[in-house]
Amino acid sequence: MDQEIKIKAVPIDAQRCRFTVDRPVLKDRAVFFPAVGRAAGSPLAEALFALPGVATVLVSHDTLTVTRSGYGEWPELARQVGAAIRAQLQSGAEPVSASALASMPGEDEIRTRVEHLLETQINPAVASHGGWVELLGVQANNVFLQLGGGCQGCGMADVTLKQGIETLLRQEIPELGEVLDQTDHAAGRNPYYAQSKK
Amino acid sequence: MPRVLLLLPTTTWRAEALLSACGRLGVDATVGTDRPLVWADRTPERVIALDFAQPAAAAETVAEFARARPLAAVVGADDETTLLAATIASRLGLAHEPVEALAAARDKLRQREVLGRTGLMVPRFTLCRLEEDAAAVARRAEFPCVIKPRRLAASRGVMRVDDAASLGGAMRRLAALLASPDVGACGEWAETAIVESFVPGREVALEGLLRSGRLRVLALFDKPDPLDGPFFEETLYVTPSRLPAETQSAIADTVERAAGALGLGRGPIHAELRVNGRGPVLIELAARPIGGLCSRVLRFGDGVSLEELVLMEALGMETSSLTREPRSAGVMMIPIPGAGVLERVEGREDAERVPGIERVVITAHPGERLTPFPEGSRYPGFLFARGDDPASVEAALREAHRRLRFILAPVPAPADLAMERR
Repeated sequence: MDQEIKIKAVPIDAQRCRFTVDRPVLKDRAVFFPAVGRAAGSPLAEALFALPGVATVLVSHDTLTVTRSGYGEWPELARQVGAAIRAQLQSGAEPVSASALASMPGEDEIRTRVEHLLETQINPAVASHGGWVELLGVQANNVFLQLGGGCQGCGMADVTLKQGIETLLRQEIPELGEVLDQTDHAAGRNPYYAQSKK
Repeated sequence: MPRVLLLLPTTTWRAEALLSACGRLGVDATVGTDRPLVWADRTPERVIALDFAQPAAAAETVAEFARARPLAAVVGADDETTLLAATIASRLGLAHEPVEALAAARDKLRQREVLGRTGLMVPRFTLCRLEEDAAAVARRAEFPCVIKPRRLAASRGVMRVDDAASLGGAMRRLAALLASPDVGACGEWAETAIVESFVPGREVALEGLLRSGRLRVLALFDKPDPLDGPFFEETLYVTPSRLPAETQSAIADTVERAAGALGLGRGPIHAELRVNGRGPVLIELAARPIGGLCSRVLRFGDGVSLEELVLMEALGMETSSLTREPRSAGVMMIPIPGAGVLERVEGREDAERVPGIERVVITAHPGERLTPFPEGSRYPGFLFARGDDPASVEAALREAHRRLRFILAPVPAPADLAMERR
């Protein structure tokens, strides 16, 4: 049974690693554990926080995002996280407690917080380049954005998204899952920085 | 986890590929750009504005940044930023290519001067001033010849000239291009051009990595469309090459010797060569990876991108086990369909349905003015294909291109533009 559970670990940045499991861990739901104190009663989170260096855990359907404290190499920790996930799935027990699920901001709350950040910080910033960012929707804790105006088709659109927007959103809303760009950049009529040459 | 400084011009195609590569490798990325971005104040650990034209000042800015956030490598995205990356890495005490070697590779004149002394087969060339008497230049040239600017990329401004009578027109055309606002060329290099003998033969492109001066060939691309002029717009790249093994070996040997002669010893290189009965002739060598979106055609190991490979090399990680996938692959830089304003592209779904086609990427946007070569260089899109053999990949790319239709409107006359402004 162990061998049948496939887990792919992909580091996102120095502190975070995403584990994608070949089956749902928490079907159609998401829950964020910002500290070990919130893991009580949630066996999967308890097991993960028992590993050295685990700082936060985000479980979203078939994906877990684990944040570590300090610096170090992922491979050993990733192996241990994978083993904990497999053990949890094999046990058949509920991975997280009802109270943990209840503490997770719902889609409406995430939508409100993202829209607030767009309105107060992000759009005022990109407006200076004739751009704007729109929230298309929230599914579980995943956010779907669309860039427009000068941001649409801009050579720096990915820098804006990954280095700016996503960084700000995660600082303010650590429960976020994916931040996904739904923009048709080829349709951008007036990119602020047009891509060119090699 | 290491932090890498990515030097990304604001006009680059490569931001997405490099940032995604950092994400997949678990590397923290800071982006250095040539113009201030709106995020510099809000996420200062992630974005830093640098004056690309002042390398020493940029290096000091980065050194100040790195005091609080140490950097493990500095990686450029194109010729200009590769040179800057070496300057910054030198200031930080990080491993880097010699700045002089990169400068020699960047300037096509200096590159030819160095390579001309090596005994390698390179085109015979002469330097001309663009305001010089064309007849005097013609006396030094060998026809047919190719006139090319010293720095522009993507074959922009490169023209074949078959006889002395045509040379003056080509020189004036190149001078006008270099003076145009969107090129913004200035300095001595923009007042001169290289006139070199036209080299007949099949053209290939080599993608490689240098380590301690030894070349590791990542991919050798055939360019199945003849590139005989009058302009040199790229179209098809297909790998693996269908050339005989001994020819491929001679190509690799030529590139390694040329890189060594220039003083290059580590990092990515992209070389263009012609192959004819006399063997491989090096046309150009650049100390950077393949440009545009073309790197998407390459996969290594179980799906590692070229950008990941370049970053791993920059970080001193072991990559020798990562070889290109066994399947054939190809990319078509979609030829510029003519001069005009793009209204729409038809047939995209038809093109995507061609067996073997993996992606159809249209990069030109509606309302964009398309300018053919040699003045233009911005391809309207890219086609990507994979298959069991190079021939099927080439056929898929040609068929997909045949199904695309670019609908253009005439370029507005100056009077129309004035009306629009009112």
